[in-house]
Amino acid sequence: MKGKVIVITSGKGGVGKTTTTANLGTALAMMGDKVVLVDTDIGLRNLDVVMGLENRIVFDIVDVVNGHCKLKQALIRDKRFESLYLLPAAQTKDKTAVTPHQMKNLTNELRKEFDIILVDCPAGIEQGFRNAIAGADDAIIVATPEVSAVRDADRIIGLLEAAGLTRARLIINRLRKSMVKRGDMMDIDDIIDILSVELLGVVPEDEMIIVSTNKGEPAVLDNNSRAGGAYRRIARRIMGEEVPLFQGDEAGNLVERFKKMIKLAR
Amino acid sequence: MHMRMEGKAVSTTLRKANGELWVDLSGEKTFSAMKESLVKQLNSLDDYLLGTLVSIDVGSKQLTEKQVREIEDILLDHGLHLKGFMNSKSNSRDTANSDKPVLEGMPEYAETLLLCRHLRSGQKVYSNGNLVILGDINPGAEVVARGNILVMGSLRGIAHAGAGGDTSAVVAAYRLNPTQIRIANHITRPPDGEVVTNSDPEVARIRDGKVIIEKLKI
Repeated sequence: MKGKVIVITSGKGGVGKTTTTANLGTALAMMGDKVVLVDTDIGLRNLDVVMGLENRIVFDIVDVVNGHCKLKQALIRDKRFESLYLLPAAQTKDKTAVTPHQMKNLTNELRKEFDIILVDCPAGIEQGFRNAIAGADDAIIVATPEVSAVRDADRIIGLLEAAGLTRARLIINRLRKSMVKRGDMMDIDDIIDILSVELLGVVPEDEMIIVSTNKGEPAVLDNNSRAGGAYRRIARRIMGEEVPLFQGDEAGNLVERFKKMIKLAR
Repeated sequence: MHMRMEGKAVSTTLRKANGELWVDLSGEKTFSAMKESLVKQLNSLDDYLLGTLVSIDVGSKQLTEKQVREIEDILLDHGLHLKGFMNSKSNSRDTANSDKPVLEGMPEYAETLLLCRHLRSGQKVYSNGNLVILGDINPGAEVVARGNILVMGSLRGIAHAGAGGDTSAVVAAYRLNPTQIRIANHITRPPDGEVVTNSDPEVARIRDGKVIIEKLKI
C-alpha cells in the first residue's frame, strides 16, 4: 500500500500547526492507521515535546538525509500507540540542512511503510516551507480567526497552488464562539469567503490544550477535551468519513431545538 | 437528411448539419409567429438525437432575455438545446444597444487578459491591455493593467488600471472592497475606519481629477 503524505502548514507562526499535527496523528493512529509524524522545523524542533517523546531522540531527520543513520533508526515509536511514529527535526542545524529533493526521497521512503505521513511545516515561506511541501500529496492549512493568520494562509494557499497542491483544506483553530457572537472575531463564513477552500474542521479555543501540550499528552486522548473531540472528528474526515463539523451540542442544537419545538407543539 | 412532413405542408426552414440543427425564422415578423413556426417545425421532425444543439436565425430581431428563455423552453420540451442565435439580416441599424459602450468614455484596448482563478496574497498579475478576472482579488494581491480592469468577484487587494498613464481607464468589480485603487497616476484608498458593505457591482474612474466610485449600471 502506498501511503499518503499530508503537509500541515499555515504561514504564520503560533496558530497551532504542531498541536494539530500531534493531535491528528494520534487520532489517526487511534483509528488504526499506521502513521508517522515528520517534524521539518529544523532548528526549532517542537513536535517531539508535544508528543512527550523528546527523551527518546537519538537520530534526527538531518542524520537520515545525510546518511548518518538508517531511516528506521531515527523513527521513534510513540509510547501509547504501536502504529504511531515520529521522525524528529534536528535542533542543532539550520533549515538549509535538508533540500526539497532529499525531502521528496525521504517521504517516498516513508510511503512504503506508513498509511499516513503527516509533515509538520515550519512557519514562514522559506526553504523550510519548500522542504515540507516537497513530497506532499495534500495540504492542510491551519489558521486562527485573525486577519493576519488568514492573510498568511491566503499567501500559503497561493504558493501551494503554484507548487501543484491545488486541494488545500482548512482547519480553523482556536475559534471562540462567544467572541464571534459579539462580532469581535472573524466567523467561519468570513474566512471561507476570503480563502475559498474546503473547510476540514473547526477547533474551539480550549485552555486545556496548553496543559496537554506541556504534559506531552495530545488532547485527543482525553475524551472530555473539546479541542480533542474536534481533532478526532477532523481525523475521521481526513479518512473520508462524513462527519458533521460540529458536535450535536454545538451546531446541531438548532435542529434539536426545532425538533423539541415540534414535540411541544404536539 | 431525411425529413417527414405531416398533415398540411409546413414551410420548413429547418436543416441538419454536422449533427446540429439550423432553424431559419428570419421570415417571421413577430415573436409569437416565430414561436409558432418553431413549434410546428420541431413537431414535424421525427428523427433526431436528444440533446442536439440548435441554432436559430432570427433575421434582424434582437430577442429579449425572456424571449430567449421561452425559445429555450420550447427546445427543451423537445429534448433539444439552444446553441445560439444569428442575425442574417442585421443590416437594419435598429439594434438598440449593441454598439453603444456600457460605460461612456471607457478606453478600448486590443489586448485583454482573461484570468479564471483567485489571486491570493502575494500574487501579482500584469496585462498590457485590459484585465478580466473571473475570481477574487484577495488582500495582498495586486492586479495591474495598461487598460481597464474588470473583476467578476470581490476586489479586496490592489488594482491599478491605466498603468501606462491612461486616466480614462476604469476599475469595475462585482464587489469593490479594495485595499487601494490606482488609476494612471492617481492613488486612492477607502476612508479609514469606515466599513462599507456593498452589495452591488461598482466602477471606479477618474472624474475631475479625482477617483470616484459609482454603481455600475448596465
